[in-house]
Amino acid sequence: MDMYAVRTLRSQPLRLALTIGGVSLCIVLMFFLLAVYRGVADGSVEYIRRNKADLWVLQRNATNILRGSSLVSAAQGERISRVPGVKTAAPVLFLLSTIRKREKVGTIFLTGYEPESGLGGPPQLVQGRAVQTDEDIVLDRSFAEKFRFKVGDPVDLQGFRLQVVGISRGTNAFVIQYAFVTLRFARALIGFPGLATCYLVQIDKGTPAAAVQEKVRLALPGLEVYDHRTFLDNNIREMKSGFLPLLYTVAAIGAVVLTVILSLLLSVNILERRKDFAVFKTLGSPLGFLWGLVIKQALLIASASSVAALAVFFPLVRLIEKLAPEVSAKSSLGQIIGIVLVVALMSLLSSLISIQRLRRIYFLEVFA
Amino acid sequence: MNPHGPRPPVAGLAHVTKTFNGHDHRTTAVRDVSFEAFAGELILLLGPSGSGKTTLLTLIAGLSRPTAGTVSLFGRDIERFSAKELQRLRAEKIGFIFQTFLLIDSLTARENIEAVLRFNGTGRSARRAKATALLRRLQIEYLAGRFPRTMSQGEKQRIAVARAMANDAELIIADEPTGSLETKQGLGIIRILHTLAKEGNKCVIVASHDLRLAEFTDRVIRLEDGRMTS
Repeated sequence: MDMYAVRTLRSQPLRLALTIGGVSLCIVLMFFLLAVYRGVADGSVEYIRRNKADLWVLQRNATNILRGSSLVSAAQGERISRVPGVKTAAPVLFLLSTIRKREKVGTIFLTGYEPESGLGGPPQLVQGRAVQTDEDIVLDRSFAEKFRFKVGDPVDLQGFRLQVVGISRGTNAFVIQYAFVTLRFARALIGFPGLATCYLVQIDKGTPAAAVQEKVRLALPGLEVYDHRTFLDNNIREMKSGFLPLLYTVAAIGAVVLTVILSLLLSVNILERRKDFAVFKTLGSPLGFLWGLVIKQALLIASASSVAALAVFFPLVRLIEKLAPEVSAKSSLGQIIGIVLVVALMSLLSSLISIQRLRRIYFLEVFA
Repeated sequence: MNPHGPRPPVAGLAHVTKTFNGHDHRTTAVRDVSFEAFAGELILLLGPSGSGKTTLLTLIAGLSRPTAGTVSLFGRDIERFSAKELQRLRAEKIGFIFQTFLLIDSLTARENIEAVLRFNGTGRSARRAKATALLRRLQIEYLAGRFPRTMSQGEKQRIAVARAMANDAELIIADEPTGSLETKQGLGIIRILHTLAKEGNKCVIVASHDLRLAEFTDRVIRLEDGRMTS
């Protein structure tokens, strides 16, 4: 009796396979979108998260570096460094630039920083070294993979010839990747020698950060001063507001398609087996038993589909990352469990939709 | 005068009429039918196709409600049963045998029998033991693990009878139980039903157009165009 749900599903192997395939694809889509989100979320702000600055000083009303512009002059930088409690105030200049390799052109988030302080430089090097001279450049790993750059290769950047000296990680913001050069080179590129996007401040040991933050604010009322946590949160919020709604929409469409596929299969199954259900009803089956059969079928398909999706997902991610290195996907056990729970919930919803069919199956059908 | 003594009837119909409303017409399938059925009785509802036999069976089983008149089951008017109570009544006190057997194809013979026991709340091990005992009693143990598609018509009908007996039903309702069987197999089934009525003290109501079954029954109720003619 317990096998009824399994056997009726197995009796139509092609239909079952197609359903599991369709539902699995929806689950893979949800896995993938969430993994991409995690990858992008981490990649976009990893540069900031790993930065050793205690304070970030930007132009007034600038809240982040992902989707905002900020200009801070060298004179302002000089005044920041004179505020009591400030140990170092290092200028960083962010520019959108292009790198050309034969016919291919790639856009980068060029980051000019002072090699002496290291503040604002690549958060993590996986190959080579940090920049030392104006001819050096450090590229993000996924960008380097995509354009097949390796340490020692020449790079054409807006008419300048640089050399790749290092490969970094934690610098892939999905839509764009960071590249690192000296501040002097970046300034020369735009032709404004004293300009920076922001100043990264390290404070004297033992000095309360909040106190220094307030002092900088008072000394330079035309600038915004953020502590590390606040600035990180600002950038995360910015990234989420631009990216998350799209992911949620696509993931929601995946969940709806999953529910529709499952509801269709379960409804067709009920209609094909309506004589069975009519017999069960006539023989005195409680309604809960009939519901249980449908719910069991929904959960069986959801389970099989989740297993199939997991089997496909990881090789698929590896393949996508190989074909498109800028796509960074990160999965965690929590994410997977979360999606499986959502799938279980959607399958329950599908069974509730399909169960409505049972109401239109009548006792008298068994006497027909 | 009740020939069965003070016992209440298992099923009783008083002036029962059943009318179906179609799209643009009304069909009266049963007209002013009255009779009572008692434990230990095997009653044959005899009539040609369309005479109202099956409709009468559904009324007796509480599967449909009369348009007029009253149907009582186990001494209680079915109008006073809730849907849930009727469901439990079917699971606990009524057994069904259908013309085309209506075994569940996805279940083995044993599982088909166990289904009824599940509906009346019998535990898993008791279900299995009961199903095995029934298969043994009907000498069809060898069918226990087989699916209906691998069985002959006669074997299917025996499993259907076993299923109807599974819940120790006080009322067994059989709709053309021999209709899909050869004569010999049909007689075998009617003998089992007769034994159930006489030795098991069950109330068995059989609807059929087969006059040959009359010799095995206690009473024959003839139907024609929905009316009792005898």
